[in-house]
Amino acid sequence: MRVFNAARAANRHLSLIGLALFATLLLAACATRGDDYPTSAGSPAFLPGKVVTQQGREAADLYLPIFIIAVVVFVLIEGILLFVALRFRRKRGDDTLPGQRHGNNVLELLWTGIPAVIVGVLFVVSTGVLLKVDAIAPNPAVTVDVTGFQWQWTFDYKDQGLSFTGAGKDGPEMVVPVDETIHIRLHSVDVIHSFYVPQFFRKLDVVPGRINEFQVNVEQEGTFGGQCAEFCGLAHADMYFTVRAVDRATFDQWVTDEQLKAAATPQPAPSGGPTAAKLQVSAVNKLAFEQATLRAPADVPLTIEFQNLDPVNPHNVSIKAGQPDGKDWIGLPIAKAGQVAVYQAPALPAGEYGYYCSVHPNMTGTLTVQ
Amino acid sequence: MTAPVDSLTTDHGSENDSGHGSKGMDIALMGMLLFIASEIMFFAALFGVYFNVRATAAVWPPEGTEFISWQGSGLFGLGLAVLITIILVSSSFTMQWATDKIRKGDRTGMNRGLAVTLGLGIVFMCLMLFEYLLLVTHDDFGINSGVYGSLFYVMTGFHGAHVLGGIIGIAVVLARGMRGQFSAEHHVAVEAVHYYWHFVDVVWVFLFLTIYVLR
Amino acid sequence: MASTPLPPAQSYRRAAVYDWITTVDHKKIGIMYVVSSFVFFLIGGLLALVIRTELAAPGLQFVSEATYNSIFGLHAINMIFLFVMPMLTGLGNYIVPLQVGAADMAFPRVNALSFWVFITGGLLIESSFLFGGAPVGWTMYAPLSTQAPETGVNLLVLGLIMTGISSILGAINFLVTLFRLRAPGMGLLRMPMFCWTQLVTSVLLLFSIPVVTAGLIMIFIDRNYGGGFFEPSLGGNPILWQHVFWFFGHPEVYILILPAFGIVSEIIPVFSRKPLFGYRAFVIATASIGALGFTVWAHHMFTTGAVYLPFFSFFTFLIAVPTGIKFFNWLATMWGGKLTFDTPMLYACGFIALFLIGGLDGAFLAVVPFDFMVQDTYWVVSHIHYVLVAGSLFAILAALFYWFPKMSGRKLDERLGKAQFWLLFVGTNVTFFPQHMLGLDGMIRRIADYSANAGWTELNFTSSVGAFMIAGAVLMFMWNVFATMRGPADAGDDPWDANTLEWATTSPPPVYNFDHLPPVRSERPLFDLKHRDDGHAPVAAISLSVTEGPVQ
Repeated sequence: MRVFNAARAANRHLSLIGLALFATLLLAACATRGDDYPTSAGSPAFLPGKVVTQQGREAADLYLPIFIIAVVVFVLIEGILLFVALRFRRKRGDDTLPGQRHGNNVLELLWTGIPAVIVGVLFVVSTGVLLKVDAIAPNPAVTVDVTGFQWQWTFDYKDQGLSFTGAGKDGPEMVVPVDETIHIRLHSVDVIHSFYVPQFFRKLDVVPGRINEFQVNVEQEGTFGGQCAEFCGLAHADMYFTVRAVDRATFDQWVTDEQLKAAATPQPAPSGGPTAAKLQVSAVNKLAFEQATLRAPADVPLTIEFQNLDPVNPHNVSIKAGQPDGKDWIGLPIAKAGQVAVYQAPALPAGEYGYYCSVHPNMTGTLTVQ
Repeated sequence: MTAPVDSLTTDHGSENDSGHGSKGMDIALMGMLLFIASEIMFFAALFGVYFNVRATAAVWPPEGTEFISWQGSGLFGLGLAVLITIILVSSSFTMQWATDKIRKGDRTGMNRGLAVTLGLGIVFMCLMLFEYLLLVTHDDFGINSGVYGSLFYVMTGFHGAHVLGGIIGIAVVLARGMRGQFSAEHHVAVEAVHYYWHFVDVVWVFLFLTIYVLR
Repeated sequence: MASTPLPPAQSYRRAAVYDWITTVDHKKIGIMYVVSSFVFFLIGGLLALVIRTELAAPGLQFVSEATYNSIFGLHAINMIFLFVMPMLTGLGNYIVPLQVGAADMAFPRVNALSFWVFITGGLLIESSFLFGGAPVGWTMYAPLSTQAPETGVNLLVLGLIMTGISSILGAINFLVTLFRLRAPGMGLLRMPMFCWTQLVTSVLLLFSIPVVTAGLIMIFIDRNYGGGFFEPSLGGNPILWQHVFWFFGHPEVYILILPAFGIVSEIIPVFSRKPLFGYRAFVIATASIGALGFTVWAHHMFTTGAVYLPFFSFFTFLIAVPTGIKFFNWLATMWGGKLTFDTPMLYACGFIALFLIGGLDGAFLAVVPFDFMVQDTYWVVSHIHYVLVAGSLFAILAALFYWFPKMSGRKLDERLGKAQFWLLFVGTNVTFFPQHMLGLDGMIRRIADYSANAGWTELNFTSSVGAFMIAGAVLMFMWNVFATMRGPADAGDDPWDANTLEWATTSPPPVYNFDHLPPVRSERPLFDLKHRDDGHAPVAAISLSVTEGPVQ
């Protein structure tokens, strides 16, 4: 009975493995796409989608040969397994022992040596490509300083004097010229993020306290989606941006337009101005403000822009003895998690003040008014 | 269950000895040595972190931390660190002395050695806590004084916790020794504690060299 | 055996509970490990179903982002630290002393201590749900983990430190048991392969857990006492945590899979009626995987820009070689054998068939330029699940079916077991295979939501359907255990016609395990005993004449 079951089981083994594999293959082929969505590299399949950078293409070209090796190994091992499972079944009522073979050194050396040679070749080839992908050319055409923070991106074009910040599904847009070397420098002000554009076939982590750099040469015009790839807290899933690659003339025109736009927008009065002073404060958690000390000019009204970067807790900024009658000045409304609040505080005479969060009184800092 | 013809009868006499021969290392001692091996990895991780931070820092040690050096902890000309190092290293010798005594069957000698070691260990702990007190009150140097403060207190603090563990171990074997529970043949606990104490001392020597001398 | 009269029913029941809580018997502790880790497995499985339900369609329908962010990390923590590790420890606890012919572990009371420390740690980790969750992922990357304000993260860190201490104590216990309590005649090269893998695993635990413990303490200090280890503004380095974590985390992968290799290497010879092909090569491969496991940690950090890539790429490729040896040895063991496909064998073959995929898609990740693309995408999610579900879980189920008769005296229902195997086999592929394609297309992991027009909807839905198939298979297994336990204990001492010493005693074994031990002249002492006279005695193995180990 047991033997009979085993035979049936082995047959089912064959048919079901096949079924499972074909089902997934079929699903892969059937997976259709809606309109063009930039964050995906193409339609999900066994092969990489569209890759638009020179460096990414080098890397993506590695995929197919490795995939073929993997398929060959897969078919070989699964084939032997199926063959063995079907061929060497114990017959009903057969109680004799098969030959008790304990090993074979030649075979062992063979199946140690051949894989070692294969992975050795793969290592040499992939390291060669790695050196090309990671290469840094001396005079890039455009340098973009990318700053990641919860949960937004800032793209600074320092040479051009431009800066773009954006959050959410739309995110900011990075415009770059095609067929030129783009140098990207990554900065973080809070936790680790990762700069990832699937169609660049590349990601690089954005690490606080460290500047990571890489270069790309985009070979096609178009708009390519990107997203933070390292889990960075509450709204990690919504930390998008786009890269738009254009020809050189369009890029130059875009730079000029944006510079004009920036000049036309009145800048907020620099701090220390005669009528009001602006302070920027932020908090990332309930332990402390990001700024332990603040400075402000005496006897002018203060505008406090408070950025609550804490993913969970509400916070505000309150000043001890900050009111003319000596009472504490409380910043209202309290900023909810992830929100920005702007407070108008009264003018303060020169001196040292403590500031704190009225929700979490252990969050404190010092405000020097002079 | 019927016994196979040429089977061996096992011995269920005691829980720790399943009758499989007595050659080789005592199992408790082997357990202690393996435990020490894992403790070495713990301290290796701490040292690894220290040297990683040290190698990547622009200035090391951070400015304004001159008081942590073998040359002085503020109040003493020749630092506390040297004094407690001498104390702990000599306690290793007294521990070895105690172990050698019991290996020869000298219970009284062992008890004396253990008592001296215990005393030195306690003095070390007290002086270390005194140094902490000085650093916190006199030099305003705490675990939150940057990464240097965190490293200093975590490395010396976890070493201190291990010294405390060793002190408790020594106290236990001393109490047992005073009841005459050890002999030249049976003193695994003494051997185990003595290995542990040497380990704790060696870690301190590396800590002293790293934190106070090399900086 | 002499039967003792039972005390009156009521006091007997209280005594039984007391007996289990205070026991130092490795078999009872082993069973407690198995049962409690299975409970944690169910919690982790429920979390997985929440994840897959949320991802079945684009948009946030089921949970909020904040909840989701806690769930995926706690799913991984549950499965890795509270299910696979303690389950393998529990199986080892039960089986290892029996396989080496010992009466118990070397330190029975330390053994009980490790179990209860593990339970405490597990409860601390689960309690983080009640204190804001722990939205930091199982990798707990600093400074996200040091800045997260949720109290749950503190509980998670403390719980992990406790489970770590439990593992260190357990590892010491296994090592001393394996080195000092082997039966007369059982040299190191006559130990069953499961014992060898437990030995190497214990060494890995002993050397890797203290490192992550140090790191967890630093995270705790950074979080609560203003420490600056991983805080750049205080002079610390966030990458340092990743080094510390992965120095543990990569050996951890082998901690989770080596005992699974051992289980498969026990089962395949028994159901092929042949010895393990290339026993020594197998031992060498296991040891070299253990050693190489300490040289590859930074392949989890290729995209940090902070590691020397070719070095870690080289060793990552290299470690594929000893893993490959094992596949060929298993197949060669089956070749020319007389195979029966009882459920344990079915699971062992399923392990070979599917773990292979986890090995091959892992080899892609050693190619650094390709890793730049798929790191932190669903490709990696798929890889780890082919390793941990098709690998560890399949092997654990194989082991449970294989050793259940020894533990309970009852054989689990074969027909139900086979049906469950096929459901799980198909479910695993339906769940995890499509994730390769999602990752290759750029779908990153740890996101609660994805865009409706990314083209990912169908594959995600497929994956979610597969997750419920796996859940169905788990329910079938639970029913199987429940139904079997109601039946009579009629399995007999050696229902599989097996090779190793645990089958030489009663099912379940008496407290002291053995009245008599057969002589040990190879790694198959029971086989030698049963087939002494039929001309198939393994002469070569006997002539090994290894004289290591104590002789009475």
